[in-house]
Amino acid sequence: MTTKKMLGSQVKRLLSGVSDHGRQHLLEVETDLVQTAFLLGEAVEKLGSSFFALHNAVSAQQREVEILLSEFAADDPKMARLRVLRDEIAQHTNEAVTGLQFQDLTSQLLARTVQRIIGLRNVLSELAVEGNDLPVEGQEDEIVTMLNEINKNLDTQSSGLKDLLRKAVHQKDMDSGEIEMF
Amino acid sequence: MEKTILAVDDSGSLRQMLSFSLKAAGYQVIEAVDGQDGLDKARAQVVDLVLTDQNMPRMDGLSLIKALRALPSYQKVPILMLTTESGDEMKSRGRAAGANGWLVKPFDPQKLTEVVKKVIG
Repeated sequence: MTTKKMLGSQVKRLLSGVSDHGRQHLLEVETDLVQTAFLLGEAVEKLGSSFFALHNAVSAQQREVEILLSEFAADDPKMARLRVLRDEIAQHTNEAVTGLQFQDLTSQLLARTVQRIIGLRNVLSELAVEGNDLPVEGQEDEIVTMLNEINKNLDTQSSGLKDLLRKAVHQKDMDSGEIEMF
Repeated sequence: MEKTILAVDDSGSLRQMLSFSLKAAGYQVIEAVDGQDGLDKARAQVVDLVLTDQNMPRMDGLSLIKALRALPSYQKVPILMLTTESGDEMKSRGRAAGANGWLVKPFDPQKLTEVVKKVIG
């Protein structure tokens, strides 16, 4: 084969290599992300159960303490201390409820990432398919034309994937979000 | 009589937190797992307030709001969006669909119940 004739087969090999290696690695990434999402789901389930159990226990304890202290006057320092503790518990409970919503946000981000990876794998598959159509022993300009066509298709697929994956989660921290009444 | 809130979200953990917070404030809570489930439950029992997520399978929040507003029994029922979305364009779409308010996740239970109390008492 002459150098010119080798070009077609080399380009085919490159496209096939990019496609195969890329898809292999992306599959691993997808598997890891799915596992991460699963573990986060399990973790929040366990955390949630523990949180509710703790809350119920603390509430029961508070009721018992109130009964024990009921003989004291309302302005007794012990009652004042109890009220302060109750307010502290309420504040920590609110913070925990806000924090436990992390799984909702992170699972949305993970789902979007997995979708993007699946989309990328499809793009790379297309690359291999189109690369197969390249002539092994074709003229240089024929190969360039086909590569331009492949580039155009890649642009279209990439734009399509971008449109499909609109970002819905912009939160950078777990502070509670804004409220707007219309 | 206790007021009833329909909480629509495809996240189980989020529904749990919503139910916990609203029940602690004295409200009854009906949970729905997506927009279609929310619509079915809203038809079965008229509630006092609807709290809905936006991005859900089967039927999203905006579609649910439009479907509810088309029902005579839901013309005046307050509907609040509780979502990760915070962009002005989405809020405008929510308002146009018939939402009465927009809450961005994550929610603070105290702030949430203050808003709910203002809206339905």
